[in-house]
Amino acid sequence: MATEESASVMDDYEMLISTTDVALLKRAWRNEKAAPEILQFESSLVQRIKEQIELAEQNEEIFEANNIEPLTVSLYQMDLDRTQFLLRSYLRVRLQKIEKYLFYVLKTDEYLNRLSKQEQMFARRCTDDLGSHLDETVLAKLPDNYRSILKQSITSEEDDMVPAPRLDTFVICKAKQYLSGLDFEPEYSMEITEMERDLLTFVCYKFVKKPLENGKIDLV
Amino acid sequence: MYARKGYELVKDLANGEKGQLQPFNEDLFNQVVDQCTQHYLELQALIRKMQEESVDVRETRNSDHYGALIHHLSLIRNKRCLMAYVHNRAEVIQNFAWKVGLELLELPEEIQEKLSPSEKNYFGKHSSALQSYMAEVGIDLNVDMVPPKDPYIKVRVLDDMGEGILLSDKTANLARHSMHFLKRTDAEQYIARGLMEELTG
Repeated sequence: MATEESASVMDDYEMLISTTDVALLKRAWRNEKAAPEILQFESSLVQRIKEQIELAEQNEEIFEANNIEPLTVSLYQMDLDRTQFLLRSYLRVRLQKIEKYLFYVLKTDEYLNRLSKQEQMFARRCTDDLGSHLDETVLAKLPDNYRSILKQSITSEEDDMVPAPRLDTFVICKAKQYLSGLDFEPEYSMEITEMERDLLTFVCYKFVKKPLENGKIDLV
Repeated sequence: MYARKGYELVKDLANGEKGQLQPFNEDLFNQVVDQCTQHYLELQALIRKMQEESVDVRETRNSDHYGALIHHLSLIRNKRCLMAYVHNRAEVIQNFAWKVGLELLELPEEIQEKLSPSEKNYFGKHSSALQSYMAEVGIDLNVDMVPPKDPYIKVRVLDDMGEGILLSDKTANLARHSMHFLKRTDAEQYIARGLMEELTG
């Protein structure tokens, strides 16, 4: 009985390491870390990873109950730890980006839609908190016409007080396949025409924004 | 020179070490705020003067107009400096929640002293926003700050932390100078607060 059970546990384990969700998460995490702006939230991937972590935690208990060799358990634990780190770090990097570009994210629908529901709630709350902190400390003490948090004064036509992510920073990337001119935004056709597969390229982020969103390149 | 105080305020910020806070420079801060009020008064006075001379305020480009413009621009510059000062400090404060701890009382006193009352308040609110996010997704995010190498690490306790502290897999008696072999995720929070150090090698 015990051997049968442990065999099925090992099967689960095989299944766990052979799925590529961890690899996918690693990719999402890398891209998120390297990109200057916030990317689309990988909601179904995160959901799957969470379930796998839960499964692995259950397995671990079974291991302990069955007196499996400590070394095996420890290796298993390490693998689990790594996955958990990836997940936490992924979520953390995103929150930190939201914190950094709070007002910009909230007033730009495109960005707001990339956030998970919880991240949206977080962003709204933070905006309120930071807003009232800035109001209290600075804005309330200024003359009426200069109290906007988004504008320098009422004569400004645009929101000119909002820090925005800099899309013209440089990133290092690698194409997963050969990219032709069609894969890039037409407006950058003068700057970038093609990209070899697997070649490390140092390039301005906004040129490769489109192939990144289409999953054709990875940031490193 | 107009807007020099604002520049000094920002410089105060830039001179500090990255990620660390200087005490809130209330004195200089208030001087800049006062300057803003002053600029505004002079701006209004100039515009009133133009109105009394019944020249078209929008169209005329005389010395009064440019004088008013200078006051307007100085005010905006001062506003930007004030906002940059508070906003950058707020960013450092956000970072405390990640690196040091989520409760105000967990912050070392040296840090607390440097915060203005509104900043303390902000820290509290921001931390609770973070906490409710973590509760919402069901994952603790302020552990596991560095990529894991080993699930267990060796630590030395640097301060008396009391007996019977509950860790995830046992309770431990963490007396000062004692050494333990703990789960990394358990130990990290104490290391961040300077209560333990990791023993390497």
